[in-house]
Parts: sequence; C-alpha cells; structure tokens
Amino acid sequence: MLPRNATHLRCRAYSASTDERSAHGKTFNFSVFKTLVARVLAFLLILGAFSVHAAEDKFTFDTSAQRESFLKLTAELRCPMCQNQNIADSDAMIAHDMRRKVYTLLKQGKTEQEVIEFMKSRYGDFVHYQPPVTAATLWLWAGPVLFIFIALLVVIRRKSVTPPEDMAAKLAKADEMLEREKE
Amino acid sequence: MKKAPLVAIPLVLFSLLVIFLFKGLFSDPRELDSQVQDKTLPSFSLPDLMQPDVTYTPEDLKGKVTILNVWGVWCVTCAVEMPYLTQLKNEQNVHIVGLYFDQDLDPDFGTKTLSRVQQEVTDMLSRYGNPYAYNIFDVYRDTSLDLGVTGAPEHFVIDAEGIIRMHHIGDINERVWNSKVGPLYNKLVAEASGKVSEDRKVDVDAVMSDVQSVQGGE
Repeated sequence: MLPRNATHLRCRAYSASTDERSAHGKTFNFSVFKTLVARVLAFLLILGAFSVHAAEDKFTFDTSAQRESFLKLTAELRCPMCQNQNIADSDAMIAHDMRRKVYTLLKQGKTEQEVIEFMKSRYGDFVHYQPPVTAATLWLWAGPVLFIFIALLVVIRRKSVTPPEDMAAKLAKADEMLEREKE
Repeated sequence: MKKAPLVAIPLVLFSLLVIFLFKGLFSDPRELDSQVQDKTLPSFSLPDLMQPDVTYTPEDLKGKVTILNVWGVWCVTCAVEMPYLTQLKNEQNVHIVGLYFDQDLDPDFGTKTLSRVQQEVTDMLSRYGNPYAYNIFDVYRDTSLDLGVTGAPEHFVIDAEGIIRMHHIGDINERVWNSKVGPLYNKLVAEASGKVSEDRKVDVDAVMSDVQSVQGGE
C-alpha cells in the first residue's frame, strides 16, 4: 500500500495531563544506587497511575460500574490505525473518536457486548482483542492441543517399539566377568 | 525404506513454515476487510461544507455512480492525489463527492471555527484543483466511524442504487485508477446507463403489447 499522511500515523501513546510528572524529577539524599531504584519505582508508579487514569480524564460517569465498563472496553478494543495498541493507549484520532463513541454508547445504557458488536460491525472482528472461534481461527486453539496429542502418540509408540532388555541376563554376565577378573 | 517418509516430515513442515512466513513479508496488516462492502450507506444527515444550511442524506447520492472521497486539509496524501482526481473529473467526468472531516475540530472542545475550516479548504482547492461536485461535512466524524474509516484518504465507490461496491484505503493515482478503481467505476456507470435504457426498452415493449392487445381486442 502507498504511504499515507505522516501526521496521521501518530501512534504514540495517549497521555493525560502531565502535572504529576514533576514528582519524577525529585532527587533523594541516598546513595546513587538507592536514588536510581527510587526513581525507577517512582516512574513505574506514575506510569501505572497514567495507564489507569489516562483514558478517563475528560469523561465523567454516573456509576462506578459504568466507569469499569469503559476502562474494560477501551482496553479490549483495538485501534484500527495503530494496530498494536488498544484504544485506551492510542493517541490516533480514530482512537479518540472510538473512546468518545464507547462513552456515549455506555451513557445511552448499552451493554458491553452491544458496544463490542457496534465496533465489530464497523471495523470487523479485528477491532476486538478476543478473536471469535470460527473455522479459520479454530486452529489457534486446536493446533497446540493436536500437537501435544500427536507428540504423545509418537512418544508412546517409540517406547513400545524398543525391545525390552533382559536386565537379569546382563547382570549375570557382568557378575561372571567380575568373578573372572578376581581369579 | 519405511524410514524415508518419516524423515521427510520435518522438511515438509519447515518448507510450509518458510512459505507461510515468506508470504507474510508481502501482506499488508492495514488492509482490513471492509464491513460496508455491498451494503447501503449508513444513514446520515450532514451539512454541506460551504453552505451549512444545505443538508445531505444518503438519498442524495442515489441515481449516479459516485466516488465518495474521505479527506481533510491536514492530510498530505489527499493533497497529492487532488490534481489527479481533478484530472479525472475534467477528462472522464467522474462524479466525486467529498466527505470532509477535520482533525483539529474536537467536538468536546471546539477549537476551530467553521469559517476557518472553510477558508483552509478554499485555499487548498484553489491550489491543487477542485475535483468535488460538493463536500459533505462530517462534523463529529460519526459517519466516518460508521463507514469504518481509519484515516484519510479513503474512497468508497457507490453505485446508482446507493450501495457501496468498493472501499479503497489510500490514495487514487493513475496506477490505482487503471487497475482497481477505474474498471469498477466504468462498469457501474455502464450498468447504470444500461439499466436506464433497459427500463426504456421494457416500457416500449409494454406499450407495444398494450397496442397489440388493443389491436387484438378490436
């Protein structure tokens, strides 16, 4: 395919307000190692805070259940533009629009499943991170099971094919050799 | 002799894997199956970009084979394809309608005024040529979402009955037009005009049989 508009292929992560980031720059009066550890920890904490609150900064919800649904759906739905990001993480315009759509649909009282169907009817099965079981995708689950099954069969057959060795006879022979050496 | 096929199994599996991965090198992950193929246009009621008091619905796209071009002034590739689309309009009389949406116009904040958007569009069209019969303004980008648009430019070939016959993602250039979009467009145009003449023919037949029956009745 031909290259599309560069400004349009913005696949950077979506981030909320940056006020909290100043905390990251705080220095500690410990040894260098401790400072480093503390910084990494602080950074991770902030990152965690962002990932939870990033997608809901400008949305307000009636109930906490609605908020839960929103966070779950935006994490489950995949951005059609930035294909390895969900719509909660992506900053592409389409992800913005999809978040807004998810929000309005939830506000209208639609269930999670209805929202997913809404998106699927527009962007295909691709848009949901849980693939449906169809004739084509069945192999994702059946493949590994079949592999284990076939491998087991092969192992069992191999074992039964190898002739059972007469351990008793071997031991007797070894004893005999030892006896002979002693003499 | 019995061992030969067993030894071949890993080799065969390996070659299959190589073929699969090799094919993957040339597949485009952005190419999604369009969900609107062979469906009627989703319902919308949107204003004209230049005359906001004029409203368009899917009915307005019926009766003529149309290429609906999703675009915006912020889209570089749209500017690149615009001269060629203008050429198509002037030389082959291709009916192109724009579905315009603005990137900066955040419905939640409203950072851009309509007159500014209109000014930008006028500037761009005077610079690169105007291929559009008219532009539909997708204010909240809802119709784009309904159509499964992921960005711009995208094109929908819509037949005279208002059914989407092709969803082309990316620009239209000479190569794409000649190999993909053009043949379908011309076929649909021929079908549409053929249908009109067929209707007329049926009418003529009906009239003739009426005449005959009248004559027979006499």
